[in-house]
Amino acid sequence: MLAARASTRNVQRIARSFATVVDSAGVKVAAIDNNQPTSSITFLVKAGSRYEPKAGVAHGLKNFAFKSTAKRSALGTVRESELYGGLLSANLSREHLALTAEFLRGDEQFFVDVLSSFITSGKFTRHEFEEYVTPVMQSEVELSNSDPAIHALELAHVLAFRSGLGSSLYATPHTHLTADDIKAFAQSAFTQGNIAVLGTGIDQEVLTKLVQQSLNKISTSSGLTSSPSSYFGGETRIQSHGGSQTVFIGFGSAGAPAAELAVLNGHLSPAPSVKWSKGLSPIAASVPEGTSVQTVYLPYSDASLFGVLIQGSTGASVKEAGKAAVAALKSASSLKGDDLKKAVAKAKFAAAAAAESREGLVFSLGSKVLSGQTSALDATLSVLDKVSESTISKAASTLVGAKPTYVAIGDVSTLPYADELGL
Amino acid sequence: MVFFGPLQYSLAPKILASKSMMKWAQPLALWFSKQSGYKKYGLKYDDLLVEESDNVQRALGRLTPAESYERAFRLKRASQASVLHAPLPEEQWTKDGEDVRYLTPHIQEVQKEEKERAMWDTISVKRK
Repeated sequence: MLAARASTRNVQRIARSFATVVDSAGVKVAAIDNNQPTSSITFLVKAGSRYEPKAGVAHGLKNFAFKSTAKRSALGTVRESELYGGLLSANLSREHLALTAEFLRGDEQFFVDVLSSFITSGKFTRHEFEEYVTPVMQSEVELSNSDPAIHALELAHVLAFRSGLGSSLYATPHTHLTADDIKAFAQSAFTQGNIAVLGTGIDQEVLTKLVQQSLNKISTSSGLTSSPSSYFGGETRIQSHGGSQTVFIGFGSAGAPAAELAVLNGHLSPAPSVKWSKGLSPIAASVPEGTSVQTVYLPYSDASLFGVLIQGSTGASVKEAGKAAVAALKSASSLKGDDLKKAVAKAKFAAAAAAESREGLVFSLGSKVLSGQTSALDATLSVLDKVSESTISKAASTLVGAKPTYVAIGDVSTLPYADELGL
Repeated sequence: MVFFGPLQYSLAPKILASKSMMKWAQPLALWFSKQSGYKKYGLKYDDLLVEESDNVQRALGRLTPAESYERAFRLKRASQASVLHAPLPEEQWTKDGEDVRYLTPHIQEVQKEEKERAMWDTISVKRK
């Protein structure tokens, strides 16, 4: 009997862990309820930096989130959600803007109202832009410039994709932005087909009904467009001081991200599975002490960027680690046998573990919900299972055959050039 | 706290709303503003508001660059005229239509925000 009960419970849980996508007032709604004690709702808008008509507008829109609307002022939004004990956050990626509210179960009505009133009736006043939004934008820009890792990835995107995905997540200090620019961007972004609502810890029907009520007057005009990405590549060297010596070696490809790249990431990533140990990755063995090497795998809807970020205290150590990384990248096309199985297992775990956390779930599920694809995790995992020796060798050799994206930040007199690393 | 003054209790909205009241009040108001003399110095009524308070300073920060430039220009021109002990030439006087309340709406907005903050600071919550 115990066994029977256990099995029915399993069936229920499996049935629940799939988010079905429902159209509500033209907006796609998906919810997963795993009986967790808190709920979250994310309004995912296709308003990332790749869609922006003017540099920095997406960054401005992100920082305008939860400012005054026709329903309540910025202060009212903060104080009222504090009374409910909720968290409000806005997150910008190159493709999406995510407006998230996390709260205790049962308060969904208020938080859907907070999120949707920003979508439908944000005021975008000039004084709020100058008093609250601009200072935060400035400090975020400064922070991004002072962190060589972020700076390197921003530059890598510019080199790799130029326009579209190449446009920065951060406003540049020298473009003149106004509240009206941001308002116009918001009006073209907050339209029916451009928004997906994702809930965790909330019943699908309840969420659908609330979204229906609050977003029924949303504009139906077609949203923002961006030209399809193509990969270019290139090399740049930026003198900077204060941070660690940083080198990014990357390769990109246009088209939908291939599962082979995720497997390649699993194969090359030197992050050890056990703390304080060296991983078994081909890069890990030959990295000098005190130098960090991370693989960077960034899949987008129509392109992907894969690379290695190397940071160290001296140019020489970065050069040594860079050589090892390039050698490993070039020999990745001959990945086979147990090494391939290991890499596939790592990639599968990474994909599954990302779906476990709230943020990971929203980002892995959200883009699929928006593009109307199947949202089951099983599909992602089964694609990874299909990766074979021949597909990975083909994918790796075409990837490495493209022109590399190479960024060096730090003391440029000691940092290596791309050809010195064997690229 | 001041109970009377440009930003305190005012009958203006009621008078503006009624046509018959406007008919007799407007000439009186124009005569009064002419007699107060600030127009002869090229100033607008909102230039005379007491600006030594946090609210008004905040409101001044919300003017557009053009508005704050013109305000500074008017104040400078008026103080120069005052130094010379003579009003401006008549073509530079503020005309009736130009005397717009450009600052008052901003001050009222700031006051509304202050009031809302006070409301949230002292709110008592009853959860149903």
